Amino acid sequence: MSSRLIVPSVIAVVLIAGVGRASAQPAFEHLRLVAPAAPGGGWDQTARAMQQVLQRAGIARTVSVENIPGAAGLIGLARFIGAEQGNGDTLMASGLIMLGAIVTQRSAVTLRDVTPIARLTGEYEILAVPISSPFKTLEDFIGAFKARPESISWGGGSAGGSDQILAGLIADKVGVDPRRVNYIAFSGGGEALSAILGGQVSVGINGLAEFAAQIEAGSVRVLGISSAERLPGLNVPTLREQGIDIEFENWRAVVAPPGLTAGDRQRLEAAVDAMVRSEAWRETLTRFRWIDRYLAGDAFVRFVDAEEARVRDILTRLGTGGEDAPTVSAAGPYPIIVLAGLSLCALAVVVRRDKSQNPHPKSHALGLGHWDLGCDRSRPIALVAAGLVLDLVLAERAGFVIASAVLFWFVARAFDPRHPLRDAAFAVTVSIGAYVLFGRVLDLPLPAGVLTGWL
Amino acid sequence: MTDILSALASGFAGALTLSNLGWAFLGVTLGTAVGVLPGIGPALTVAVLLPVTFTLDPTSAFIMFGGIYYGAMYGGSTTSILLNTPGETGSIATAIDGYMMARQGRGAAALTTAAVGSFVAGTLATIALTFFAPLLASVALRFGPAEYFALTILAFTTVSALLGTSLVRGLLSLFLGLALGLVGIDPLTGDARFAFGIPQLLDGIDVVILVIGLFAVGETIYQAWHYGREPLEMVELHDFTGMSREEWRRSWKPWLRGTAIGFPLGVLPCGGTVIPTFLSYLTEKRLSDTPERFGQGAIEGVAGPEAANNAAAAGVLVPLLTLGLPSSATAAIMLAAFQQYGLQPGPLLFSSRPDLVWTLIASLYVGNLMLLVLNLPLAGVWARVMLVPRPLLFGGILVLASLGAYTLNRSMLDLALLYVVGAVGCAMRVYDFPLVPAVLGLVLGPLTEQHFRRAVAISEGDLSIFLTRPISAVLLVAAVLVLTGPRFLRRYERL
Repeated sequence: MSSRLIVPSVIAVVLIAGVGRASAQPAFEHLRLVAPAAPGGGWDQTARAMQQVLQRAGIARTVSVENIPGAAGLIGLARFIGAEQGNGDTLMASGLIMLGAIVTQRSAVTLRDVTPIARLTGEYEILAVPISSPFKTLEDFIGAFKARPESISWGGGSAGGSDQILAGLIADKVGVDPRRVNYIAFSGGGEALSAILGGQVSVGINGLAEFAAQIEAGSVRVLGISSAERLPGLNVPTLREQGIDIEFENWRAVVAPPGLTAGDRQRLEAAVDAMVRSEAWRETLTRFRWIDRYLAGDAFVRFVDAEEARVRDILTRLGTGGEDAPTVSAAGPYPIIVLAGLSLCALAVVVRRDKSQNPHPKSHALGLGHWDLGCDRSRPIALVAAGLVLDLVLAERAGFVIASAVLFWFVARAFDPRHPLRDAAFAVTVSIGAYVLFGRVLDLPLPAGVLTGWL
Repeated sequence: MTDILSALASGFAGALTLSNLGWAFLGVTLGTAVGVLPGIGPALTVAVLLPVTFTLDPTSAFIMFGGIYYGAMYGGSTTSILLNTPGETGSIATAIDGYMMARQGRGAAALTTAAVGSFVAGTLATIALTFFAPLLASVALRFGPAEYFALTILAFTTVSALLGTSLVRGLLSLFLGLALGLVGIDPLTGDARFAFGIPQLLDGIDVVILVIGLFAVGETIYQAWHYGREPLEMVELHDFTGMSREEWRRSWKPWLRGTAIGFPLGVLPCGGTVIPTFLSYLTEKRLSDTPERFGQGAIEGVAGPEAANNAAAAGVLVPLLTLGLPSSATAAIMLAAFQQYGLQPGPLLFSSRPDLVWTLIASLYVGNLMLLVLNLPLAGVWARVMLVPRPLLFGGILVLASLGAYTLNRSMLDLALLYVVGAVGCAMRVYDFPLVPAVLGLVLGPLTEQHFRRAVAISEGDLSIFLTRPISAVLLVAAVLVLTGPRFLRRYERL
């Protein structure tokens, strides 16, 4: 047991040592960053890069990152608006993909509900084919696409995301109905990239960063990049210079909660401004191949409005988020088959009751010893149920420690009518131990509740 | 070949420094500890530890990540076997027979075969990674949506080995899982299905919630129900020494077969470790002379899936290191970590930073050996968990289950869902429905549907694509053989 406790405490020491290096007089004692995505994605990387730079440049003494994944950022957005109202020391990563999700899911919360701070970075998109592809140039490709749009499969990231938006914009520009784009959405960058490299799709559309290693190695042929000008150090023609007048980037930004005072807003804007101007931020941009697209204040607000209009227009015409399902990859009969199978099996089980006479064979088959205490039949299960309900009621109100101790105690009582005090002692010890180990040492988000000041 | 060996030798020289050994040890210990906790997998651990490693040099950081990754695969088996609480989807197959072994007092044997099997599989798979990575990666690229669809169909045949006593009950459980898999955003169109306007349901029902709910919570509620009717059973430990000679004899072939199944499937980005572990379980049951022992504590049912699990974990590193393709959540975070250090995994990584890559590969060998040394003596100690008084054990399980479910998305809805699924799991036990088909349905259903629709969209609606592409056709024929083969063979024997 002890080895499992020692190791995390070593980590804790390392953590504390790392934090202690921040320089004097930071603008923020503590700053919280919300990444509305699972670890590993673009918003998570943005938040973690900011964390590193803000601490290293001494703008904030400590910075924490919280991941609230779900629904392309919509869960994080809704939680941010609901729970952080007026908090002047919190920022959330956001960007184009969140706009896309707001449109496709007809979200009740939008980017108009938060306080805009600044656009930070942009990533250009690349249109690429494997080396073995028959398409040598963008012209070849567009020719084939115009001749028979559905025969061209476009592989890229999630539906309604930046990749699909660009595919729709290109179709629109070359005079093909965006609804006829045969877009194949893959669930992760890796999946899309392997389909592109393996020639499973006609063309791949993805962020420059995802493609960078393949371009360097010469395993893909780039047909075009969505930047306005050619990028230095990258010998790749733009879409615009090849007659498709599109400038497009997957931009990422930071926003603050609604209801801030003017002072709080200025403090956050100043902190972000100082971060963007720091040497450490320059290094970070190069490291991640992000393009500096810092834009703050009213100009940023106008930019978001324009982007929202553009995204809404193209996604509606692509058929996502509109009233009709798109033509090529419609859901089809699968859900109906599943639900019909479920109903049929349920019916069959109800009709053929005969085989249900074998409910708990295991306890007898093993021939093991018994604890015989003889008690009321429903008492144990009622106690467990009570424990579960109380846990649900208490978890966020009273905090993890209290809720867990109550849950533990009720469950233990269910199996043990004799030692209420011993069970209570264990309940408190286990709950506090779990909270300290996972909530404090491993920094997982557990609600502290009423004991906030104590633990 | 000699190039690779000399590169590997220099890699070992880098990995075997005292400080790097220390980081490897820290990684495997931490990974094991975290793998034990249901719901907190290696992906989250690596993400949480990323900031800690800012101060380390990249080599040490990756040695530690490799350790965490392999360690978490080990840790998951411990709770599956002892508490019937799989920490992640890769160890569900282990729980089926492993938990029965633990209840019969053979927990130490189950843990030992899991540990040795993981070591054997991890080492063989790392050897394969060392020598054949580029070749394997190019084969993996030939898998498109049609092939993945055929693979998921093959994986569905494993349900036939898990149906329990009644076909209809097994199928109902399967369809329940498939129906739960419908919930959420349809990834191909972006439209929400069966989400009932609840934003938290847009991403679907997390497999981890279903697994912890059905197994850990369901088992606890069921025991409470049962305890109201009959006294609790007591477990008497049979041994602390590990495996008998007979058990070694029965384990070694499943280890090798599990490795052979797990590694190639790990290279393919397809649903993580679920498919390889269940295919291994099915293989062992089909090849066994006594298939009726499966589900009652057959050691082969632990040895095979555990080996497959670890071999698949090594397989995931093949596309990551050679092509820069992350094929699992942890690999995606490792990719992000590479980028933190300004490294771009991809076709050029082996030539641009050979020192780093070979030290990482060498440290995988070291980490594997460390895990074996760490876990073998602990098997007997862990097995004593079965002796903890039941009231305290069940209380602890529920606290950890609720912790794991809540931290997944910080969502109270997940916690409520966990308890509802737990109640369903109890009812399924009471009325003798098998649990595992529901989990397989939830994991495989969405994959099957997506790959099918992608393949058909690419072929513009032509269904013959599944039979004209050779790999897909072979996999589909194999699926048909698995389903009809045993019956066919039996008839042949009778003639």
